[in-house]
Amino acid sequence: MTHQKLLASTAAVAFLALGSAGFAETVVTMNTVQIFGTIDPAKISDYTDYMAAVNLYDGLISVDSSGNLIPELAESWTVSADAKEVTFKIREDAKFTDGSPVEATDVIYSIERLLRINQGPATLFAEVLTPGSVVAVDAKTVKFTLAKTFAPFLATVPAIMILNADVVKPNEGTDDAQEWLATNVAGAGAYSLKSWDRGSEMTITRNPEYYKGFLEGPIDTVHWIITSDEATVKSLAASGELTMTSQFQSPETYKALVDMGRFQMVSQDTGTAFYLKLNTKVAPTDDIHIRRALAHATDYATIREVIFPGGVLSTPLPKAFAAYHNDDIPEPKFDMEAAKAEISQSKYAGAPIPITLGYVAGTGFEEEISLLMQSNLEQLGFVVTQAADPWNRITEIAGKVETTPAVNQIFFGPTYPSPDSMFFTQYHSKSAGTWASMEWVNDPEVDAMIDEARATGDVAEQAKIYKALQAKLHEMQPDVYLLTQTVQHAMDKCLTGFKAVPMQSFDYDFTRYQWTCK
Amino acid sequence: MEFLSFLIKRALWSVLVLVGLSMVIFVIARVVPGDPARMALGPRATPEQVAMMQSELGLDRPIVEQYGLFIQGLTRGDLGKSLLTERPVTDDIRETFAATFELVLCTMLLAMGFGVPLGMIAAYWKDQWPDTAVRFFAIFAAVTPSFFLALLLQILAGYVLHLLPTTGRLPNSMEFEASWTGLLLIDSVIAGRLDVLGEALRHLLLPSIALAAATMGQMARLTRASMIDVSRQDYIEAARAFGIPEWLRVTKYMLRPSFVPPLTIMGLEFASLIGGAFVVEMVFAWPGMAAYGIRTILQKDLNAVMGVVMVSGVFFVLVNLAIDVLVGFVDPRVRIRGRR
Repeated sequence: MTHQKLLASTAAVAFLALGSAGFAETVVTMNTVQIFGTIDPAKISDYTDYMAAVNLYDGLISVDSSGNLIPELAESWTVSADAKEVTFKIREDAKFTDGSPVEATDVIYSIERLLRINQGPATLFAEVLTPGSVVAVDAKTVKFTLAKTFAPFLATVPAIMILNADVVKPNEGTDDAQEWLATNVAGAGAYSLKSWDRGSEMTITRNPEYYKGFLEGPIDTVHWIITSDEATVKSLAASGELTMTSQFQSPETYKALVDMGRFQMVSQDTGTAFYLKLNTKVAPTDDIHIRRALAHATDYATIREVIFPGGVLSTPLPKAFAAYHNDDIPEPKFDMEAAKAEISQSKYAGAPIPITLGYVAGTGFEEEISLLMQSNLEQLGFVVTQAADPWNRITEIAGKVETTPAVNQIFFGPTYPSPDSMFFTQYHSKSAGTWASMEWVNDPEVDAMIDEARATGDVAEQAKIYKALQAKLHEMQPDVYLLTQTVQHAMDKCLTGFKAVPMQSFDYDFTRYQWTCK
Repeated sequence: MEFLSFLIKRALWSVLVLVGLSMVIFVIARVVPGDPARMALGPRATPEQVAMMQSELGLDRPIVEQYGLFIQGLTRGDLGKSLLTERPVTDDIRETFAATFELVLCTMLLAMGFGVPLGMIAAYWKDQWPDTAVRFFAIFAAVTPSFFLALLLQILAGYVLHLLPTTGRLPNSMEFEASWTGLLLIDSVIAGRLDVLGEALRHLLLPSIALAAATMGQMARLTRASMIDVSRQDYIEAARAFGIPEWLRVTKYMLRPSFVPPLTIMGLEFASLIGGAFVVEMVFAWPGMAAYGIRTILQKDLNAVMGVVMVSGVFFVLVNLAIDVLVGFVDPRVRIRGRR
């Protein structure tokens, strides 16, 4: 071989190698503990459903990790002075995955269909949007007219995913395309559905023509494996298949993955709060002094540092809502003497006090918390009954005051980035009778404050109301504020971009992630 | 002819059993706490939305009417819609049943393929070291819970040795649709995809072993006990006296009559694993019907629960009917009793 030929062939090999490296597909494999129930934008309701939806569809606007609303299909929006009209301007270059432009008629179709089906995100718009509320100003401008002033409205808009009306309409059938959209995608999302085996996996692939483009080192394929089993997760990680765990693994699994060297722990506080919800209408938690005693008899540090990792929660509202958080309310403290003093002031003082501690059966950490509470409360003269119920049963017993236990361990997180999401569903009388409102607050003053905040467009005014509401609720003590949940993932060191977002599972929008290794 | 009428009678009884099963499960599914509509719609749903879904599901009607509607749908092959997947339950079951059936079929082949020969070895060398070894293994396998074995195998073969895949039916990178029978082992052969066949077998191995161990142990013990019983019969002594070769005596004259108890157990196990393989399916992320059934129970997805139970019930009845026929074939005395 001549010198020139050797050089030429070496260069060719190097070019091919570099070329193939350049085009190497980046696959992120993540385990999730729940199955994807649906991908129909009119029916998505839970955390796992949104995980797929935020990648397959785009909304008019989205949410960032600070809870700020950010443009998506809409490049801008304006709100009328009375906060009853919101007008969105759609990006000129916004297009669906089939290449057709996103227009006002698509937005109208998506919302009318959502209201007709009346499930999933439609619950956010009850009494706010009605058929005909959304009209096209021109092909790229759409106007929402609200039935009443609803200040958190903008925060709920990211929950609306926009459908390609031209694609969906021919498949409407007799059920508004519910059957068709249960397995097909017609949106403008950054990813397309490649495969979906409901019991075991879902795979989505990057749409290179995505109108917003991607960051450097984009994720080409996302593969979710549905398993909560710790051994499976470890095996997947050891065999090199897993890139990122779910947030629900055990500390042992996280440690095992970190010890492998390829993974690092990523952890952040979230807007999800963990409470002991106290039924304010049954004995003994109908007495404010007993409720305060329970708050004093809770060993917060042990719970947060040993049993379940989390941050400090000092009011019903997590600190993720910084602008609305009442920082004047002190952090709750474990103080058995103060608990005794409160009990002595209660109407139940002087005799053994029977109390029921409810928690979700089969969740080890909740059982540990319940046992810790029992040991503290028995020192104070309580006679404790543990009530471990399966989740089905809890949703049932939460329906009536008399069947709701005195104390209940419940997680609750925002479904849209507004304090209203935390207050209305948990404390307003209209929300009574669900697992989220086991306190049975039913207080006209609290209702009035929540309603007032909903009707107030000015953010500073709204913050003032929410701070006063937190003070009011703190005074009533319908909950013991255990912690704010810390989200944790073991992630491949090459993967970056995870940031907790205070809305459903918008943190798993994979356009925000990057693969940093070459 | 008499044997045929015996089978027809069994078939009619089976129909009655299925009707009874449908009634019991229908009532149990509705007595279990939790409002399916509320659970499906979440805490933010308004009472009107919950009422609308209850009406859609027919939950606002009297229970007898609800049962009537369910049976009406069943006769048309319509099991209603799943709240969990938002799809017809029949579609969900069609997709998941094949995965479970393939897994259980492999499990049974493993259990039979190893359990029966081990039982023969133990019986042939009764009270000698092979017998002791087989008995020890059989007891160990029979008492080890399948979930424990599943985890053990997964850690050993997946986590430590990286020998075999630990989740799913095929690697994610492999594109293949089992569109003929739903069984990857068969459809891959039909399609001439030997690479798919190989991967499907690799993926089947660990969950099949985890599920098969207990049945294998039981089969070995039953075959051993049964063959020892038969070996004491006079005709076996006579066969030995007539100089019939050892292998023929063991395989034909001893094994065949000893085969009835293991065969019966195999039938029962086969059918019960269709619904009972859920732990192993969940550990190995196997997209089967058993795991689907558990998820639907937790979600109180009434239609899906009824569908899974009815399909498992029908399968149980059919397999037992088939076993009756097989037992009659293996043991002529059963056919004669059937005639009487």
